[in-house]
Amino acid sequence: MSALVPSGKQRASLVGRLLPLLLVLPLLLPRVVDNSYYVGMLSRIVVYAMLVASLDLVVGYIGDVSIGHAGLFAIGAYTVAVLTASPALNTDAYSTIQHWPQLPFLVALVPAVAFAAFAGFLLGFPALRSSGPYLAVITIVYGLIIYTFINEQEGLTNGTKGITLTPLHLGGLKLSGINYLYVVYPMLLLVLFIVHNVTHSFWGRAFEAIKYSAVAAECCGISRSYFKVSAFVLSAALAGLAGGFFAQLDSYVAPNTFAYSFSVEFLIALIFGGVRSVAGNVVGAALVVVLPDLFSGFADYRLMVYGSVLLVMLYFVPEGVVGLVRRGWARLRPHDNAAEHARLERASAGLDVLASPHATSAEAALKLEGLEMKFGGLVAVRGLDLEVPRGAVRGLIGPNGSGKSTTVNVLTGLYTPTHGRQYSFGRDLAPLKTYQRARAGIARTFQNLQLFADLTVLENVMVGLHPSFRASLFEVAFRFPRARREEAEARVRAYALLRFVGLEQAAFDKARNLAYGQARHLEIARALALSPKLLLLDEPAAGLTSGEIQTINGLIVRIKATGVSILLIEHHMDMVMAICDDVSVLDFGKKIAEGTPRRIQEDPVVVEAYLGTHKTSSVVA
Amino acid sequence: MQTLQLLISGVAQGMIYALVAFGYNITFATSKTLNFSLGNFLMLGGVVGFVLYMTWGWPFFGALAAVVLVGSVGGAVLLKVAVEPSLKQRSAYGWILATLAVGIVLRNAAEVFWSTDDFKFRSPLGDSPWRFFGERQADGSMSGGLGVYPQEVLIILVSLAIVAAVELFKRRTVFGKAVVAVSEDKDTASLMGINQRFVILFSFMLSTSIACVGGVLVAPVTLVSATMGTVLGVKAYSASIIGGLESGFGAVVGGLFLGVSESLTARFVSTGYKDVPGFVVLVLLLLFKPSGLFGKAAVRKV
Repeated sequence: MSALVPSGKQRASLVGRLLPLLLVLPLLLPRVVDNSYYVGMLSRIVVYAMLVASLDLVVGYIGDVSIGHAGLFAIGAYTVAVLTASPALNTDAYSTIQHWPQLPFLVALVPAVAFAAFAGFLLGFPALRSSGPYLAVITIVYGLIIYTFINEQEGLTNGTKGITLTPLHLGGLKLSGINYLYVVYPMLLLVLFIVHNVTHSFWGRAFEAIKYSAVAAECCGISRSYFKVSAFVLSAALAGLAGGFFAQLDSYVAPNTFAYSFSVEFLIALIFGGVRSVAGNVVGAALVVVLPDLFSGFADYRLMVYGSVLLVMLYFVPEGVVGLVRRGWARLRPHDNAAEHARLERASAGLDVLASPHATSAEAALKLEGLEMKFGGLVAVRGLDLEVPRGAVRGLIGPNGSGKSTTVNVLTGLYTPTHGRQYSFGRDLAPLKTYQRARAGIARTFQNLQLFADLTVLENVMVGLHPSFRASLFEVAFRFPRARREEAEARVRAYALLRFVGLEQAAFDKARNLAYGQARHLEIARALALSPKLLLLDEPAAGLTSGEIQTINGLIVRIKATGVSILLIEHHMDMVMAICDDVSVLDFGKKIAEGTPRRIQEDPVVVEAYLGTHKTSSVVA
Repeated sequence: MQTLQLLISGVAQGMIYALVAFGYNITFATSKTLNFSLGNFLMLGGVVGFVLYMTWGWPFFGALAAVVLVGSVGGAVLLKVAVEPSLKQRSAYGWILATLAVGIVLRNAAEVFWSTDDFKFRSPLGDSPWRFFGERQADGSMSGGLGVYPQEVLIILVSLAIVAAVELFKRRTVFGKAVVAVSEDKDTASLMGINQRFVILFSFMLSTSIACVGGVLVAPVTLVSATMGTVLGVKAYSASIIGGLESGFGAVVGGLFLGVSESLTARFVSTGYKDVPGFVVLVLLLLFKPSGLFGKAAVRKV
């Protein structure tokens, strides 16, 4: 890092500051181009971009493919249409429009968003149970049911005839036609601002954590149900808002717009533009509006050309337009993280990452009484009594399949035991769900790595810091000072944790690019982010070289020194010998021995369990 | 009598769903992807069959053989063009869009190179219903009683035969077992010397040919048009999900359930709402059985 800051960088940051001014440009368009066709197209892109952004929350962040957003969009559009349409324009005998209040447009948007959000809430429940192709079909069916309803409920929706709305105006000022852009464009900026803020906060990280590994997310104190349903509600609310604005785009709504193919088109737009990027959302929306128009020269062949272009693009640019631009940009000017490294290094200097847990109670960190876990006829753990004294390291060893990992899974609430009691610091764990146990101070690592692959190393640790965030969704959405401060503090703390495990140089790499040994360290850093009182290490040295085992060894000793109680599951006897105060041995789900490492190592029963009946050697490994 | 008649129509429609659902299952088993253009392959089969049999006057079985050929070539092309690239890139959604895109192209191609109209497809068994338990008229024809369209009977028989043949093939032949092995565990199957690329190719060709045959079967009951496959594809997808994607038997159960609920609702409630009961049941079912009636529940391993 040179002290001399290149002037080019200063210029770049100045440009960066002025860049937002460009956002005003589209507003000038109606003044410059007096062509209602092109300005109308822009308004359409704006409204569709809101819908694509809403779809991104579910598809890009939560990872569930929805092919039913047209339905949510329709709910918004029809709510606004029914509640604002004038009976004078909808005069059919069967129409009930005259019985509904004629609300102002902006007021009608409120129930539009509310109804759509509620529909999203309902859709959230199947999403908790099913996934992949199963959930995709639920979304399709959900959209089709809504489509059927608006087609058939003629009294409410005028059926296929559609509802005609009074064009928007404010006093004498006409807000329809080309002027509609002044209404929708500021709204789009607001929506994208909110979406960007939410997705670049602990909310967005929670969404992505759930996508990569719901189990690991729960073990970081994230409630999968809460965040998944929230994502669906948020997404649906936005789709409803977009629908509300759509109703005034042509001041006319009819059921045909909201067919299955509309949902498909928007899924295409989203992935075309590039997921998890508000810029990508806008690009995608622009593509679905502009592309068909570009190909209008092909007349009848239009859709064939469109489909072929799609195929070709998918082949060459699978990550979407924005992904392509990013890749190109990264090649042009490689991202320089040195400055950010230096900043975090300075900010985190002297930060005490592992504040020693206060002496909350004299009770044992962990106490198991008669724990039994059955899977059908198989008894994985039987009658296990185990205690981890406060501040101690207890080793749990045993041959493969002896029930060690099952014990950890019971302790973290992933399995509900058939019998037995579990206490941590005197607190009964039985009623606590996985994420609540994490919040109660029980952290774990996974034998089979469960990292959030596409998040950076730093972000992985920040997911572990999730329970420390206090800002409300509202504060996050509008970047309130508390939300910004918490985010900044979490970054620094996460960096300090990475330094503690020796991974700070990789802070900005994707977790998927880590070497295996590094990934094991990251698992530990993420667990430490929870500021645990009890740490469950499930074979932290599995698959490591002897040099790496030494490093992990030292790391665990340092963690122990801060007073964290540890349950260590391990096969490497030298490690167990060096670190553990006490060792328990499992075989076929039963505890067969317990005592100091030395006594265990010489116990004939243990040797037999590991090596068979021939007592040939005193080495257990 | 009338209800029985409705049931038979429902079962016939349901067997078409089952047949296409079966097509979804086959490729899902080997490649873990769903071919979202399968409905349009059904349309392709219907249109090609129509052109050969009705327009050019080919014999029915000649036309059918040509349809199977078109279907299998189409499946191979689809795999190479749309599915393989995204599998190679390990993109999570690529294949969804790519197969949708192929569907869009197919449909538009049918509109451009063939027609945008609806056409009547003559059943090879004739279009007048077979009457049972009716009264014989003076001229010797029957009226009243139970009327069954011969094509409906043909649909039921041929669909059952196809499903049974494929299931037998999977269970009884070495190559069939290779297909099952690939669907259970690709890597282990490869280690056992099974050419998984070929198995996947075969499964796509089989799947699209079955859908194309479905198109020829259903055409006399509905009409032939470029849009005939869109909704049908979605319904068949629902049917395979109801039954559970991994289960051939499930596809038949799911298809029959949708077909019958549709025909009963259309008659006793309203034509407009005919799809709704089946769809609602689907959503509720998946709440309690997240992977369908006969699907394998995913085991959570940590």
